[in-house]
Amino acid sequence: MRLKAKTAARINGILMFLPYFVLLVMFAVIPIIMAFNVSIGPSRLSPGGGVGNYLFVLNDFRFLSALANVGLFLAIYLPAMLIVVAGLSLLLDTISSKYTVPLRLAYLVPAGITGSVAILVWYFMLEPSYSPFAPLLAEFGLTEGTDIFNTSNLIYIFALMAFFTGAGNWIVIQYGSLQSIPDEVLEAARVDGANAFQLAFQIKLPMIRKYLIYMLILVFAAGLQIFVEPFLISSSVYPGLAKDWSLNQLSYTLAFTGSNLGAATALSMMLMLVMVGLALIVIYRTDFFDEAVVKTEKERA
Amino acid sequence: MMNNSIAMQTRRKARLRPQAIPAKVAVWTVMILFAIFSVIPMLWLVLAPSKTQRQLQQEFPLSFGSFQGYVDSWNNLMVFQDGRIVDWIINSIWYSAVQVSVASIVALLAGYALAATRIPLRRTLLITTLVAMIVPQVAFVLPLFVEITALGLYNTAWAIILPGTFFPFGVFLSYIYFTTTIPSELYDAAKIDGAGDWATFFRVAMPLSWGLVGMLAFFSFQVNWINFFLPYVVVTSGEVLTLPVGLGILFSSTPALSPQVGANVLPIRAPEIALAGMMIAIPILVVFVASARVLVRGVLAGSVKS
Repeated sequence: MRLKAKTAARINGILMFLPYFVLLVMFAVIPIIMAFNVSIGPSRLSPGGGVGNYLFVLNDFRFLSALANVGLFLAIYLPAMLIVVAGLSLLLDTISSKYTVPLRLAYLVPAGITGSVAILVWYFMLEPSYSPFAPLLAEFGLTEGTDIFNTSNLIYIFALMAFFTGAGNWIVIQYGSLQSIPDEVLEAARVDGANAFQLAFQIKLPMIRKYLIYMLILVFAAGLQIFVEPFLISSSVYPGLAKDWSLNQLSYTLAFTGSNLGAATALSMMLMLVMVGLALIVIYRTDFFDEAVVKTEKERA
Repeated sequence: MMNNSIAMQTRRKARLRPQAIPAKVAVWTVMILFAIFSVIPMLWLVLAPSKTQRQLQQEFPLSFGSFQGYVDSWNNLMVFQDGRIVDWIINSIWYSAVQVSVASIVALLAGYALAATRIPLRRTLLITTLVAMIVPQVAFVLPLFVEITALGLYNTAWAIILPGTFFPFGVFLSYIYFTTTIPSELYDAAKIDGAGDWATFFRVAMPLSWGLVGMLAFFSFQVNWINFFLPYVVVTSGEVLTLPVGLGILFSSTPALSPQVGANVLPIRAPEIALAGMMIAIPILVVFVASARVLVRGVLAGSVKS
């Protein structure tokens, strides 16, 4: 009887999980396998198949420059996110939470400006003839659209867009984790004579460290995949300005204008490998998901 | 008690210290400035369609034109391919509606299966879900393109809709919710009373999970509503596309952002394109602001004790 119930529970579990499992196989596992097969299959440039497509991408002159662009973009974007998000969430945490409500709502507003809308809005924000920030831009000697939209500024423009899209909601999220620090810990530190700075840097910051690392990894993964912003700028607003600027743009170009799907999938497989590696680091090398996974272990035992 | 009153005294002292005042002012200045910078772009976007092209360039950037301005901008936008914008709006709405409902239901069931049933290979399935959740969607675009073409779904609505129903983050969120927020004794009690897994799910777990359903709908709407890369790659026909991709088309085929394109043919300039952008941004803004609290709990699921 009991055995029968256990089997039923197993079957029910499988049935409940099944719809998701089908989607997982259909839209994650199979596409990766198919793309991998294309990437090692024979193509125009590598008739023998194998690693030919991978070598082709790695030797393509556009690959290194795209990698450098994305690398520099991340080198600006990631530290800016870390400093501003940590800084502002700590500042928010110094005042009573009822006064922070309007500020937090304001910080969430730019989250609506993302993807193609981000290009639209930031085009107007940076174009001096339209921009509400025109006086500020003029302070920096930027009075013409072409002063701003040129190749040497692209990294800053994309970093600015990505930063504003994500910073606000991460501030709200990190503020949320600061609020979950037990009051006793903070009171104890205050009784010991810690001032606001010591409280922030020696107590609060270490306690939200893992959330900040989690944020950085997610932001890094998303940043490495940057596509929409350079693609739209370059395909419409300023034709050719950011052509093949990012790795995903290169992969797009290879697939759809160079009709070299083999090389395109090779590039996307290499990016996928980095992504899965990062994911495994988060899971096994940080303690972010420990609680969730440990819990299952206990239940099984 | 004792400790508390001492702490209160020290805090009060800190508040009265004169050198603390400039610090407070500095803190508030930084926070308010950042808030202003955060709000201005959206404010501009919402105000822009109320003005004419000329007003946009000559008047104060954050001034209001007139309500008629919105109507005019809309009418001009309708000129583009005989009202193509309406197709895009309708598509965006029904695609997201299907994606949000399917993704949420599937995630609820799978999360519950991981949390409260004797499903085999639980740990493996959970780790796989975590990996799929951390890898950004964009990474799957080209592989999905290969698959969609092979399946013959290229250039159909399903090519956009189906991949958007895969929602590993939702499964993880549900799993966390069903293991932490609902005490496991509740499931056990239902089972002792003779309820099966399905009855427990529908009669015990679900009625306690409307907050979770809200979170799932919020996060899946947020990613699907603005998705650009995949729809752009798997669909070419204008009548199958969504608003964000449509906006991209407006960039390249109207004089709004690139005056060299058909300047005399189409009445689509900055106010019109801002209206199209506003229709994408406002729903996202509304769901974000409406669920600010949910956002924090969702993203930090599994690591912050609620």
